[in-house]
Amino acid sequence: MKTPFFTSVLRFCALAAAALSTVRADENFFGYSYGAETLPKGKWEVYSWTTARLDKGPGDYAAFDFKQELEYGITDRFQISLYVNERYHGYSDGAIVEDGEAKRLHRFAYNGNQLAFKYNLLSPFKDGIGLAFYVEPGYSLVTGGAGEAVLEWELETKVILQKNFLEDQLITTLNITSEFAWERPRPSGGGKYEGELVLEATGGVAYRVAPKWFVGVEARYQTAFPNMDIHKQESWGFFAGPAVHYGGERWWATLTWLPQLVGDSPGSTRSSRLDLDHHERNEIRLKVGYNF
Amino acid sequence: MNSWLKIALVPAAICGPPVAGYGVVYLSVEQAQRAIFPAGSFTPSPVKLSAAQREAIEKASGVRQRSDEVKAWRVSGGGWFIVDDVLGKHEFITIAVGIDAAGAVRGVEIMEYRETYGGEVRGAKWRAQFTGKTKAASLKLDQDIANISGATLSSRHITEGVKRLLAVHDTALR
Repeated sequence: MKTPFFTSVLRFCALAAAALSTVRADENFFGYSYGAETLPKGKWEVYSWTTARLDKGPGDYAAFDFKQELEYGITDRFQISLYVNERYHGYSDGAIVEDGEAKRLHRFAYNGNQLAFKYNLLSPFKDGIGLAFYVEPGYSLVTGGAGEAVLEWELETKVILQKNFLEDQLITTLNITSEFAWERPRPSGGGKYEGELVLEATGGVAYRVAPKWFVGVEARYQTAFPNMDIHKQESWGFFAGPAVHYGGERWWATLTWLPQLVGDSPGSTRSSRLDLDHHERNEIRLKVGYNF
Repeated sequence: MNSWLKIALVPAAICGPPVAGYGVVYLSVEQAQRAIFPAGSFTPSPVKLSAAQREAIEKASGVRQRSDEVKAWRVSGGGWFIVDDVLGKHEFITIAVGIDAAGAVRGVEIMEYRETYGGEVRGAKWRAQFTGKTKAASLKLDQDIANISGATLSSRHITEGVKRLLAVHDTALR
């Protein structure tokens, strides 16, 4: 039986609250798209990310990705971050089928680490347009879809653009991301590494509707190429939805809901208009940050 | 309850009611007046700008004049003391600008600042850059006003605020 959507949202709230209780979490106006700013020299920030991925079509499916991030400003233009990741998968009733068998899983697992380096080249506040470069090497231990044990080495790169309007009350961002990943089963069992290239474009527009409050919209397009072959697109998905941001003196929070609006995964029986093999119907992301 | 409403309730469920900001008031009006014009006496002289004046201010400064109310005091000896708000990243930054009888900046004070970073704009050395500036000054970051790295938004908005208040003085207070 399919879990009601409200139950999944409540489950998201409970898990998000659990994550917040353990982490006092650089200010992000969007859930998925980064701004070009970096932390000032010598400043620290802690984040908590909680992403709920809900509904793969058939069966009952909910996955939650957790990240805790510690960020530090090396200079006023260069920051480093360390991510610690966990994943929860809960699915049954035919949401995941392997070799004709409906799988069932309810498991919370540690999911690896990343380091991130961000360099701000142009400031959105005085150079007309903000520009930053971002590089994130890391590894993951659990796949996003079925929650299988793997060892995946990743290298993510981003070009981050930010343009502000109306005295910096209207913020727009555009990120172009390339992720190179090599994955094998864990334990390997003779399995070899398989490579994948994921390309992503994210962008957002947010307006300051009141002191401390920004409301906006965000969009994301992601596509994957197995074996790093740019000529063989495996799947794609386009997501868009609202984003709300609150920024206090020391802490901030951003909530984004990105339903998948259109996508394709050739050969999939899950949906004729969405890519539900590699993504879900709904993604909700809550980020909370704390500066110190 | 439909799904859209349920999703709208998520932030409320997680974040609870909005947490009120705790603004830091560094100077009262009287303290800011004494800091800029230690020996002056002050006569409240609020001004309501006409649409034509607002337009002239915006044209002269290149900055939007958000309000038609100007909180101004006439200072003995011919100067003016003005309190105004400029945009911070999350909240307004309250500044005071003293302008002498010749139309030059006597001093700038940061009265309220609530941003996470950028409190360095309260430093006397950075604020001293404005002293003596007139409406003829370009008042631009990295030109006649040094930027504070890590506090660029606050630095720019305060600089633009001073330029705008010089235009307010020239347009409506002379």
